[in-house]
Amino acid sequence: MIYLDAGTTYSKIIATTVGVNDILNTSEDVENLRKNYGKFFIKSDGGKDYYILPSTILKTDNFTKNFEIKKCCGHMGIADENEIIALANGSKNIIDKDATILDLGSRDAKWIRFKDGKFHDMDWNTSCASSTGATVEMLLKFYNVSREELSFNEEKFAVTCGIFGLEKIMDDISNGAKPVEAISKFVHGIAYNAWNFAKKPEKIYLSGGFCENKCFVDSLRYYCEVVLLGRFMLCEGLVNSDKEGELFNA
Amino acid sequence: MINEKIGFWGYPDPNVVENIKQEYPNAEWVDLDIDFGYSDKSILPESYCKIIKNIINNSLEIRPVKIIAPIGKDKCDSGWFAAQVLRDKGLDVIETKYEQLTDRKELVISTSNLPLYDKVNTIMNNIIEPKKYDLPQVKAKFGFWGVPPNDLELLRLFPDETHVYGWTRCVEAGVPADIELEMFVEEDVPTVFYAQAFCSKAQLAKYLADKYNGLYVDIDDYANNSIKAKIEAFLRLR
Repeated sequence: MIYLDAGTTYSKIIATTVGVNDILNTSEDVENLRKNYGKFFIKSDGGKDYYILPSTILKTDNFTKNFEIKKCCGHMGIADENEIIALANGSKNIIDKDATILDLGSRDAKWIRFKDGKFHDMDWNTSCASSTGATVEMLLKFYNVSREELSFNEEKFAVTCGIFGLEKIMDDISNGAKPVEAISKFVHGIAYNAWNFAKKPEKIYLSGGFCENKCFVDSLRYYCEVVLLGRFMLCEGLVNSDKEGELFNA
Repeated sequence: MINEKIGFWGYPDPNVVENIKQEYPNAEWVDLDIDFGYSDKSILPESYCKIIKNIINNSLEIRPVKIIAPIGKDKCDSGWFAAQVLRDKGLDVIETKYEQLTDRKELVISTSNLPLYDKVNTIMNNIIEPKKYDLPQVKAKFGFWGVPPNDLELLRLFPDETHVYGWTRCVEAGVPADIELEMFVEEDVPTVFYAQAFCSKAQLAKYLADKYNGLYVDIDDYANNSIKAKIEAFLRLR
């Protein structure tokens, strides 16, 4: 069975090779996924194959018509599940009873807070993508800098508005800073914003693509403890809710 | 004259409404707060409260014979500025302030079993032609706090057991400037605090959402899928 988190830039896929009742179930779809999308394969673990592929491929390959999608969330697919609910269902069994989970993607940021194991609070910045992953990727491409070159910089740019943040980068570079330094300060600004947006918790469980951005993680660690959940948390939530129903207790 | 139109916004002083009704017994009353889809007249800045934009655009398109314009604490400063702009544009504007705080009417609609969309519409339609309602009451599962949104379809996301709070509740109670009632919510009722983007009531909405662990939402004109999903998540998780 195939579970799809169709993000704006990247799609995360979990293909279960073992059915919900532990019956071996390597379906034709799972085989076809291995055969045709092998270059996007990430790992295989616990009866699940994990893939990350550019979301544009979903459209060009007519992916959602060629494969039977068991459950889907995200902007680029035919979503039948809410992303916050998927995040809640994905993280519920692996976090503390009191926890804030932040998912920071290419287009938006969302967080959910549990208190005594029950849902307590949430938010979702739904409309402005100017200070999220897509912006960082574009900056890296524009200035020909790799993500690995970025490093934590104690200085940060105010990036409440990403456009103003871009202006800061341009000013910094024109004043002699290297692009890698300027972008690192921008990333620090995003981390500070994300921490504020999540209401300044002491500890954040981080989900999404920024888990793989060391500069971002180190910047966030300047403000709070950070536990990395990786990029498949929403997808795991789709699998979990399919197996067990909604896991949170309201 | 059948085609005469009287424009109004907010909750005008009922005495003024009554006087105008007598003066124009056949006039059609138009709620200028509502988005009728008329073109933008480029009077206001691009980023501005959509409700005030509606008022300006509707008024200049429809050109009512009279506009009843609340400008006090029962509306907002932007309403007062809009009244000046429209008068300057040659329209006949009657400013009203309806800030009395006594004689709160009993609430029937806000706490009823009607769908939230119908609750809000019924309350607003009751301003000019008040009717008495006898509706079954329900215990609140959720709350909606705020003004009627520009995107009324947003209200269809909520279950019928949603009570109305904030300014809309004040309108049903006949006290649109009653800040105490406007700030009232029930602590144990999960509530969505809604404000129109660029509206000063966003200050209250955000403050109350934080105070009562509710969900703060502001929307400019129409809710996109992400905002709907955010509200849906809140309603499902709470």
